[in-house]
Amino acid sequence: MGRYLLAAFFVGLAALLPARAAQTGPLESAVKATFLYKFVPFVMWPAGAFESATSPVVICTLGADPVSDLLDEAIAGQRVDQHPLAVRHLQNITRDSPCNVLYIAVPDVAAATQAIADMRGRPVLTVTDSSRLPGVPSVISFIVDNNRVRFDVDQNAAAENNLVLSSKLLSLARAVRAPVRRP
Amino acid sequence: MMIRAPMFFPARGSVRFALLSAILLLIAGVFVTVYEDGLYRAQRIQDLSVHADILSASVTAALAFNDAKAAQEYTNALQADPDLEAAGVYNPAGTRIAGFVRKGTDPLPVHPQPGAYLIGDHIYVTEPVLQGSNTLGVVFLRGNIESLGRRLARYTAILLLVIMAVLVLAVSALAQRALARANTELQAQARALTKSNVRLHEEIQERGRAEEALRQSQKMEALGQLSGGIAHDFNNLLAIIQGNLQMLQRRTEQGRTDVQKYIESAMQGITRGATLTRRILAFSRQQPLTTSPTNVSTLTESMRDLVRQSVGPDVELDLDLRADWLTLCDPNQMESVILNLAINGRDAMPRGGKLRIRTTNMTVRATPEIAAGDYVQLEIIDTGTGMSEEVRQRALDPFFTTKPQGKGTGLGLSTTFGYIRQLNGYLQIDTKLGKGTAIRILMPRYNPQTAHASV
Repeated sequence: MGRYLLAAFFVGLAALLPARAAQTGPLESAVKATFLYKFVPFVMWPAGAFESATSPVVICTLGADPVSDLLDEAIAGQRVDQHPLAVRHLQNITRDSPCNVLYIAVPDVAAATQAIADMRGRPVLTVTDSSRLPGVPSVISFIVDNNRVRFDVDQNAAAENNLVLSSKLLSLARAVRAPVRRP
Repeated sequence: MMIRAPMFFPARGSVRFALLSAILLLIAGVFVTVYEDGLYRAQRIQDLSVHADILSASVTAALAFNDAKAAQEYTNALQADPDLEAAGVYNPAGTRIAGFVRKGTDPLPVHPQPGAYLIGDHIYVTEPVLQGSNTLGVVFLRGNIESLGRRLARYTAILLLVIMAVLVLAVSALAQRALARANTELQAQARALTKSNVRLHEEIQERGRAEEALRQSQKMEALGQLSGGIAHDFNNLLAIIQGNLQMLQRRTEQGRTDVQKYIESAMQGITRGATLTRRILAFSRQQPLTTSPTNVSTLTESMRDLVRQSVGPDVELDLDLRADWLTLCDPNQMESVILNLAINGRDAMPRGGKLRIRTTNMTVRATPEIAAGDYVQLEIIDTGTGMSEEVRQRALDPFFTTKPQGKGTGLGLSTTFGYIRQLNGYLQIDTKLGKGTAIRILMPRYNPQTAHASV
């Protein structure tokens, strides 16, 4: 219970003190955890990604790190429109895992890359933390820039999973990897 | 007076009408101004609300991810609108994460009141930033509207323009009415003119009839004169013939044979009667003419001896014959014309003088009396007594003569005139009392091309 309260405090702090405060340690992770569900409305999901307007948005974690640890607290009481939020902590995944957002917190880059390859073609928003797993081609990668939590976007990876990212989200990204134009 | 009096009243009426219109327009203008002002304010609130909508939509992501820098960038973009005084973006906790305030205006509120409202010259709009059903924060905008004074000044200017337009309209309406009135009067005048014209026409016709009657009576008078003259002449001739025949009868009864003298006298009388008859017929244009192209100069030359004998030794005869154009006439008649005029000339010179007969080719440009064309001119000029103006005017009248009884018939000049007119020619008399007389005759030049057509 105390852990929940602590997390809630951090999440609240993250909302109140955005860019200015030094976002390190637990605060930084709490911000990242919050972002995981905040990405959802800025993504145009392919038809059939959700069963209905009220079916839950499932945020999966693969492996564990401080972000995944704080996720349950971060989403508590939050919704995305009519969708409630659900978290699943997974140790391994298959293509059929019912995830909408996949936060990859595996210990090494090769495993993370494999996990992204496994999800290729599925309407899943893959997210990694570049400070732990640099160079992994996830759709969104967290990055700490100037003591602020920000993110890079890979539109190629999004396109492979049939996702379209909102221009509002792209305008906030630190770097955007544009989709590869095919002749 | 008839024109001025009616003009005066409509003028005053129109001015009153114009003033009334102006006042009515003023009232209408005030209403319109109030209404327009309301519309203007509503429009400005609407404008600002649209701005707020745009800002709200733009800062959704910035609010979601607490990106104050991005939010500030979007807010700064609104500074382009000069009527926008302040803008702010607040997160759900009520903390302002971005915003601007123009210099010299109030600071941003700490807790903006939701809604859109107008206080004084300022509009305040506060709108929530929504993402689906989630409220991500609020945006606040403060704009200014034109001050009431300036708005009123603008409306007043428009109102003044409208009043001016009304006055112009009134003046033009006034002018229009005056014009219509003048028009009506012109029409009345035109009608009166038409009426008097009709009357004039009638009078002219009446006068024409009276003149015709006068001419008729003059004709009858002339006819009487003519018949009287003829009767007198013939009576004289008949008396001569009768006298001679009586003498012839008496001598024959006495068995005498020296009657030749009486027979000749009677014959002479008969011949004179015949001549007289011929002249009358020529005058009345009933004697047919046998015309042929004639050279008047040659004709006159052939008469030289005859004319000299006729005028006698006291008169010097001078022929100046230059005309060589032909003219269409009856040579016998022309001979008698020349002879007649020569004898008239001689009679005008009882103490002798000079008689000139002159012929010339003459081209006449159109004059009131004479048609344009080529003519042969024949002039018989004497240095005799001349005529008074009175006599000159009557010289062409038939049976008018100044010669003593029995010497002239009064038909010489008038017959000549009738004959010349028959040839489409002209006869003029130039005379001066005591100096002499010139009779000028113009006869058209003979033109072979049109020969068949004439006479």
